[in-house]
Amino acid sequence: MKELSYWNAISEAIAEEMKRDETVFVIGENVQESPFLVTKGLVQQFGPDRVMDAPLSELAIAGATVGAAMAGYRPICDLTFADFIYCAADEVLMKAAQQYFSHNAKVNVPCVFLGVAGAGFGNGPEHSRIPAAMVMNNPGLKLVMPSTPYDAKGLMKAAIRDNNPVCFFFHKKCMPMKQEIPDEEYIIPLGVADVKRVGSDVTVVATSYMVHLALEAAKNLEDIISVEVIDLRSLVPLDIDAIITSVKKTGRVVVVDEDTECCGVAAEIGQQIMERAFDYLDAPVARVCAANMPIAGAAMEKYVIPQLAQVQNAIEAAAGSGFSA
Amino acid sequence: MKKLGKQDLLLMYRNLVRTRKFDELNIRMATEGKLLTFYHSCQGHEAIGVGACTGLRKDDYLYPHHRGHGLSYAIAKGVNPRECIAEHLGRATGWGGGITGFHTCVPEFGILGVGATIGSGFVLSVGFALAAKKRGEGQITIMFTGDGGIQRGQFHEAANMASVWKLPVVWVVENNQMAWFTPYRDTSAVEDIATLAASYNMPGEIVDGMDVLAVHTAVQKAVERARSGEGPSLIECKTYRYRSHSEGRPDVSHYLPRSKEEIAKWKERDPVKLFEEKLLKEKVLTKALIQKISQECDAEAEEAETFGFESPFPDPSNLSKMVYAP
Ligand SMILES: Cc1ncc(C[n+]2csc(CCOP(=O)(O)OP(=O)(O)O)c2C)c(N)n1
Repeated sequence: MKELSYWNAISEAIAEEMKRDETVFVIGENVQESPFLVTKGLVQQFGPDRVMDAPLSELAIAGATVGAAMAGYRPICDLTFADFIYCAADEVLMKAAQQYFSHNAKVNVPCVFLGVAGAGFGNGPEHSRIPAAMVMNNPGLKLVMPSTPYDAKGLMKAAIRDNNPVCFFFHKKCMPMKQEIPDEEYIIPLGVADVKRVGSDVTVVATSYMVHLALEAAKNLEDIISVEVIDLRSLVPLDIDAIITSVKKTGRVVVVDEDTECCGVAAEIGQQIMERAFDYLDAPVARVCAANMPIAGAAMEKYVIPQLAQVQNAIEAAAGSGFSA
Repeated sequence: MKKLGKQDLLLMYRNLVRTRKFDELNIRMATEGKLLTFYHSCQGHEAIGVGACTGLRKDDYLYPHHRGHGLSYAIAKGVNPRECIAEHLGRATGWGGGITGFHTCVPEFGILGVGATIGSGFVLSVGFALAAKKRGEGQITIMFTGDGGIQRGQFHEAANMASVWKLPVVWVVENNQMAWFTPYRDTSAVEDIATLAASYNMPGEIVDGMDVLAVHTAVQKAVERARSGEGPSLIECKTYRYRSHSEGRPDVSHYLPRSKEEIAKWKERDPVKLFEEKLLKEKVLTKALIQKISQECDAEAEEAETFGFESPFPDPSNLSKMVYAP
């Protein structure tokens, strides 16, 4: 075992896969130094032909990723900020997502779109998003949003080996987190949720940094409410079975999501819970999401992004509420 | 072209000094942890904004480069830079109302706003210029960008469209030879950005970006061309980034430290000092006047800091009312 930080766990996964598979390479802006550290150190190991500092051209970077993937490589495209997926929207949302389907499953697109995501540093509306719902809403893309170093490493290895385009959004607020990581290789398959805390009264479903808010809320409430926290780890594929199993036990559920509420991740999960476990619910499905507005920066960010108190209040409300007869 | 008189030269000099002092204030506040978000210093770039924006009409449109978060451009256009400081402190009196902590928006001075995705200003500036042309009152647009920004596809679409429609827009590229950690020489197929202009049938000119008068002259020529309906121009200002990309980031080229000798070499041609020496030689400036201007600019920066800290934060209950215009 060794202790690794979140970012270091990701870079270690990439390095291991680059060593194992010659077709894996990294392409993006500033990836040799890596402003968010996840590809730092790779150029010294693998050289500039496999760790490519590209021009400031998101379209070409993402497009080259898709093309190289179709032509037999497994590129890792670093978008820098996950927000910049909007700059490369055609290539990611239409080409990467749909080429396999639209050509009768003849050519697949195995690649990873890496992006640092989420709020917490007041960076404003174009550097703070975690564009989860948009990715989910484009069939053909997978979506991974790890909350811990251990998960990040195992999920990154699965993402690189996947035969589909995978968006891998890692969270700014998780960067300094550290955890013991096994020396042996391990892979965490996409689509398998992890119960991060066992409880019996209320289920909280979350991903990425929101898992930590949920765990903190659960701890603060532990004397009065037993909270189960489910970390989905990937949103596509979605481990709905894990959610349903928990909901059948607790009958009460709060979905926490850092992306915008309207047409969001929580809306989708809530609907699926209703379709699959309506009879088990003792209270309406509750959600805590970003407010329906652009993400304000500086001191205003906290009024847009889910905060601990909101999560806690939602859990308490879910525990105390019920359906009127 | 209007010839610059002594007062114009003094104003340009003062605006260079103001830009430098306000940049230093931003850096200090960033170092002290007072800035609520990031800061991209404009040291080395001051002559470009000041040279290009001096002598514009108040209703000409500007799209600033992110270096200095709008300082040199707005200052030369007449905006009170204390709004920049207040924005960085997230206050309601900032030039973005404190909503983002760094966006510049001063519509009454032709600054309609900026984006945080580099290079997106190309296509927006086409729209500003299109509106100006439709309105027919002789307004022009200047958009500033870096050598990184020019590498986005937006440039090529914007250049072609503006050239075909003969839109009144001037693109000023601040080529500091770096985009974040990546050197321009390793990501550009051409040595000089100005040569790209030929592909779109517009003039492209290379200018010494450390020389405020050279920038002013080149931009004025392009502005006159734009005003007279002849279409867009591209001006490449060769300059240098003194500090790291943004405060607190490592200062590397790819992954190795940037050359200290190269930085020192460029600093010998510092745009503020260069102009100061020229005006001293021409007896427009005196040692005493330099000192007086320096003190006045220090005082202005100090007042701006106080203004910022004494200003209120935005009212969060307004946020949800600002998503849609009434
Ligand atoms: C579309 C987009 N891609 C990447 C970034 C991240 N980024 C911010 S500034 C910058 C470098 C810009 O370089 P350049 O245009 O040369 O201007 P400079 O910072 O050197 O003055 C990068 C890559 C961004 N904000 N937007």
